[in-house]
Amino acid sequence: MDDDTEAYILLLLSDSNLPTGSFVASAGLESYVTHGFFSSPTQSLQPRNKMDATIDFLRDSLKSYARSALPFVSDAHDTIRKLLLAPQDAPEQSLDSELQMITALDDLYESMTLNHVARRASKSQGVALLTLYSKGFSRPSTRRQRQTQVIEPPSTDNEFWETRAGIFVEKLKSLIRQDRTPGHLPICWGVLTACLDLSRERSQFLHSFLHVRSLLSASVRLNTIGPYAAQQLLLHSVRPLVEAEAMRSRDLHTEIGSSHSGGPIEETKHGPAVTWPLGEILAARHDLQHSRIFNS
Amino acid sequence: MNAGTGRIVLRKYGSEAAFSELSYVYPLKLLSPRLSSDNASAVYIVTYGGGLVGGDHVVLSVVVDKGASLVMLTQGSTKVFKSRPGNQLSSRSQGALVEETTQALEVSIASGGALFLLPDPVTCFRSAAYTQLQVFRLETTASLVLLDWVTSGRKSLGEEWAFSRYYSKNEVWISDRRLAKDIMLLEEQEQVPSLPPRTLADSLAPYSCYATLIMCGPLVESTMKFLSAEYRRLTVFKYATPPDLLWSYSAIGDGAGCVVRVAGTETESVRNWLGERLVPLEGAMGPDLYRRAFG
Repeated sequence: MDDDTEAYILLLLSDSNLPTGSFVASAGLESYVTHGFFSSPTQSLQPRNKMDATIDFLRDSLKSYARSALPFVSDAHDTIRKLLLAPQDAPEQSLDSELQMITALDDLYESMTLNHVARRASKSQGVALLTLYSKGFSRPSTRRQRQTQVIEPPSTDNEFWETRAGIFVEKLKSLIRQDRTPGHLPICWGVLTACLDLSRERSQFLHSFLHVRSLLSASVRLNTIGPYAAQQLLLHSVRPLVEAEAMRSRDLHTEIGSSHSGGPIEETKHGPAVTWPLGEILAARHDLQHSRIFNS
Repeated sequence: MNAGTGRIVLRKYGSEAAFSELSYVYPLKLLSPRLSSDNASAVYIVTYGGGLVGGDHVVLSVVVDKGASLVMLTQGSTKVFKSRPGNQLSSRSQGALVEETTQALEVSIASGGALFLLPDPVTCFRSAAYTQLQVFRLETTASLVLLDWVTSGRKSLGEEWAFSRYYSKNEVWISDRRLAKDIMLLEEQEQVPSLPPRTLADSLAPYSCYATLIMCGPLVESTMKFLSAEYRRLTVFKYATPPDLLWSYSAIGDGAGCVVRVAGTETESVRNWLGERLVPLEGAMGPDLYRRAFG
């Protein structure tokens, strides 16, 4: 992909109006505020600066999310990229083996995401991304081809890529609709970005960025900080944060992905993990809040 | 057998359960206390000197036979001492100077069997590196209660989350389905340039004890119901400052099990909380063992 095309895709994916459901998620921030963590973490009488409290939450939240979700983004991305780069005359069952791989990753993520609120939010955003791809990013012509169930031999590599990606996404969506796989956000993100031909590094970086950006939008809606302050943080604090996390997470894989690429990983060093147990508890307690404006 | 390895096999003969195997190698020690007949079978996991040091590897395998119930306890918290610096820069350790302490536990529980793993918390001292890997394989009607908790260190010496690394994996399989794979990693984060420093202690404040409890199976159904009902009754209005104890309850595997997480400013308050909430387990464990676990 050339730089202009990539830049354009990045602009599209960064649009905060994308119908991905992230605007109803606060990933535990609302609960963090309700439980008094903006007032004081250490019971001192000093009220906390809200900018400081916000950036502290962003850091702890992103650190744990990156470590637990990015290995899944990587492995899902690798799987789909390999599928889309496979020779055009590759047998049809290769699609099935990639589907199996993606659902295995999905199943593993489900068993590793042990708080029900995060699971719920992740599932609703995941399937929304796939719908976004099939309804918003695919070419009308490839959709017509799928509807007629007759796949004409695509004339160019580009068309071939899009056709195969479209078929894969439809199959995955149908498995999710039948409740045969949960359709979690990091896996669907990896699938979507691979279908759009973004590199794995871009995909990880953007996923981390969007996690933080959506937390900052949530902060503005919660009125803990104002819109200008959010913008300020986004420009000056979030960038080094996201860069550091993306760099740190570059070589992370799951036990499933690693067996397919470059031999087994040492899971304790390079596997997914939750790094912020406090965030887990607060996120799970979201639904206990007497009044709340977010779904997570 | 290698140093630090052990094996427990509990079988049921008629209505009596007995250990058909209970073996261990230094620095691991397994003790089975004599108990009145209204209690389950029990084993204390003990390490010589009351702690583990860098380079220690404990590997314990446990088999619970059909219909048998085993309670596993410790005598006081598992202390993990500061890792010793490595003597040589071997290529295998890639120049790392700390030797890790690891504990591995492999459990299989046959149908109708139960394991109550209720140790005291792990306490990692300054600079210690600890890895704990636990895998539980259950047949369909087996039951499991697994408590895994960690404290911030020796508070009396001013240690607050001052260890170098804590990694804990709990993987639970029911038949061929993975119910949960819980992985917690606590380590000092590398600082991000241009942002003020933020330590592990900052992230985990104001709590100095974190517990994870995973339960599943027919013997814990009433306990899960009790806890989830209590959880649903909670309503959070607005705290001025964080409460001294926080807990959450999440059902997993379509209700086949649950994960409870607890954070407390004091280890004892977490222990008391667990002791009060897990009372429905007393019937299955026996009164003496219940008291020993939470007394």
